[in-house]
Amino acid sequence: MSISMKSWVFAAIAATLIAVQPVFAEPSGTFRHGEQAKLITMDPHQHTGGGASYLRPVYETLFDRDPEGAIVPVLAESYEAGGTEMTIQLKQGVKFSDGSDFNAEVAAANINRVIELGVNASMKLADKAEVIGDHAIRITLKTPDPSIVDALTGPAGMMVSMAGMQDSALDRNPVGTGPYVYSAQESREGEVRVYLPSDTFRNPEEQGLERVEILEIPDNTARLNALKTGQIDLAIFLSSPQAAIVDKSPGIQLLRLPGGTTYHLSILDREGTQVPAFADPRVRMAMNYAINREAFSKAVEFGLSVPASQPYTDGLWLHDPALAGRYSYDLEKAKSLMTEAGYQDGFEFTIPSIPIFASRLEAVAGFFKEINITMNIQTVEPGTLARRSRTTDFPATNLVWNNGIDPKFMTTYYVAEDAVFNPFKITPDPELMALSDKGLSMSDEADRAPVYFEMFEKLAEESYLIFITTTPILFGASDAVVNNETVQYRPGTDTPYFRGLRVDN
Amino acid sequence: MLRLIGQRLLAMVPLLLIVSVMTFSFTALLPSDPVDLIIGDRGSEEQYEMVRERLGLNQPFLTRYADWLLRAMTGDLGTSFFNSVQVKDAVLQRMPATLSLTFGSVLISITVGLAAGVAAGLRPGSWVDRTATFGATIGQAIPNFWFGIILASVFAVSLRWFPATGYVPLTDSPMEWLRSITLPALALGLSTSAAIARQVRSAMVGVLQQDYIRAARAQGLSSRRVVLKHALKNALVPVVTVLSFQITVLLGGALIVEQVFAINGIGSLAITAVRQQDIPMIQGIVLILVLVVMLVQLATDILYGLINPKARPT
Repeated sequence: MSISMKSWVFAAIAATLIAVQPVFAEPSGTFRHGEQAKLITMDPHQHTGGGASYLRPVYETLFDRDPEGAIVPVLAESYEAGGTEMTIQLKQGVKFSDGSDFNAEVAAANINRVIELGVNASMKLADKAEVIGDHAIRITLKTPDPSIVDALTGPAGMMVSMAGMQDSALDRNPVGTGPYVYSAQESREGEVRVYLPSDTFRNPEEQGLERVEILEIPDNTARLNALKTGQIDLAIFLSSPQAAIVDKSPGIQLLRLPGGTTYHLSILDREGTQVPAFADPRVRMAMNYAINREAFSKAVEFGLSVPASQPYTDGLWLHDPALAGRYSYDLEKAKSLMTEAGYQDGFEFTIPSIPIFASRLEAVAGFFKEINITMNIQTVEPGTLARRSRTTDFPATNLVWNNGIDPKFMTTYYVAEDAVFNPFKITPDPELMALSDKGLSMSDEADRAPVYFEMFEKLAEESYLIFITTTPILFGASDAVVNNETVQYRPGTDTPYFRGLRVDN
Repeated sequence: MLRLIGQRLLAMVPLLLIVSVMTFSFTALLPSDPVDLIIGDRGSEEQYEMVRERLGLNQPFLTRYADWLLRAMTGDLGTSFFNSVQVKDAVLQRMPATLSLTFGSVLISITVGLAAGVAAGLRPGSWVDRTATFGATIGQAIPNFWFGIILASVFAVSLRWFPATGYVPLTDSPMEWLRSITLPALALGLSTSAAIARQVRSAMVGVLQQDYIRAARAQGLSSRRVVLKHALKNALVPVVTVLSFQITVLLGGALIVEQVFAINGIGSLAITAVRQQDIPMIQGIVLILVLVVMLVQLATDILYGLINPKARPT
């Protein structure tokens, strides 16, 4: 081969290589998200409650849920779970933003830190994590827990670098493997958090933004105004008059996504120790039938919620279509059940309330009055409702059920004899416990769903949990965001995906 | 004067001590528990005890107070229960926003209140007086957060003249700083300017009937000079008293107005701390705000002396 021929061949190969080299658009534009929760900590292992969107640009989790709700590996490559052990093969070639490598040692240290800190309740059944290879770890559980994979899609599964975990200021100096890094210099404490593309992120094509800004705006009116004036592109909303206004304002729209919370009453004294009528399931069913959920939603929750007769809402894997409308409003049936139970003249009980639940309880009391039940509302200190509901101070209570949590908590919250909200220590129906155990023995959601459907059906029969409405996850978004296909939302949570998100501004 | 300042500064020490005991006691009496908020409803008893111990909440009340006091005496107000943020740093970081808002509203209050009060006081019973009195009554009746919402709807959302939310530090951009505090300062200053206007009006009416005013007029001094040099100076003494009270009210009002305009000041910090039962943060905020109020009172006393030598303490 002559030199000139060689040159041509090399030139052709080089040209081919250049042509096949992926060409990525440079990160551009700024995405501004309005958060309702104030940022408390950027240490994912100490994080509780709302505001996970502050963590998502920086941290990746071992697993995540895709937009359809299926669990997919992120920093994990694959996993095997059975009994009290779970082994996870980890992705290789991943780097933290401080330049250190992600490996089994770091992953195990992260999980052990979550367990030791004891803040993340979803990991309370985890015992320890061990390194079993350069990129493999084993998590040992105290008892079988199929929800462990789901737990690792949230803050408990967020991986922090080894140096980060040793940094006492980790809560304001996060170090993850995510597409963006937190810029403390450009952020304003308590007001706006700024994130810039990470140099060490392995998939540059997923870093579509030049800048992510998350603004802390707890006030609903202020968040609405910021959305209307274009100061933010997307905002999370709770059920409020302001959320209802979003839908009526030009240029912005309200998105209703599956998930959110289900407001419900719980009859605690279901053996009738304090309120004998509560021992009769017909009375509890009558209470269920007496509530006009459609009217309740319109009058109290601005029409933003949907009637509920089970813990999980439509669109989630745990929603049982067969239970939909199980306790549709039927006053005549309610009255007849009360008569059958011998309580046609009604009875009286007291329920605790906090200010944000007051209007809901007043509406429910009105419905109960129709079947001669007098529900007295006693206001307790804000922040003490859960604690007071764990005592025998009240025969019934009212709470919200987070649609994002595993159904195993239905047992530990309400059903089991030692359940958090079973202060009267009532022994559950063995059939319910058997179903609960069966649900815990399986790891696949498709297998677990029918088991829990059966459990919910049984609970509906016992009727001590009176589900009223589910308020979906509400986002207010500009028209541009609504029409932007790269903006997608993590199912059951109040955070969008920042990976792959692009804007044109 | 220096002796007075020294005495007043010394008197602040026991007062701050009393405030710290009261704040510590009140937070200890709260029925809710910060550990519940940290671990949530799903936390186990084991997790509860672990977190409680980590926060030192398992210690007796007096031990906790003594620890806190010893550290506070060295300028360390502790760390938030929920993150590694130092209480002192958090409060000082947010102070500029709240002070900007408070002093912006004081400026508006004085300007509007004085102008309206003097105009009304010069011609009692006239249409100017009736209009100013009516305006002052309305101004005092309207809650400042509601006025804030109206201002934001009109001037930020509809006209887009000012930002609807947020605060820009003075050091970042003086112009944007001014734009960011204009609406909240107006919202906050409305009721105070109304209070000042009423006070100035009645003081002016009283002063203008005094013999020395008549004497000044008899000497042939211009009406402007009589009002500005003789009447207003004396009418200002009660106004300073009102203003010193109103600054405390303004600081309280700022907590609410900050929410409406999403300004990250002491107000939003206080509300978050109270919601979370972040005890060290609550104590720090209360202590520093009390200190600010005491300093304002001291400044008022000094101002009395400057305006009216007769009121100067001996």
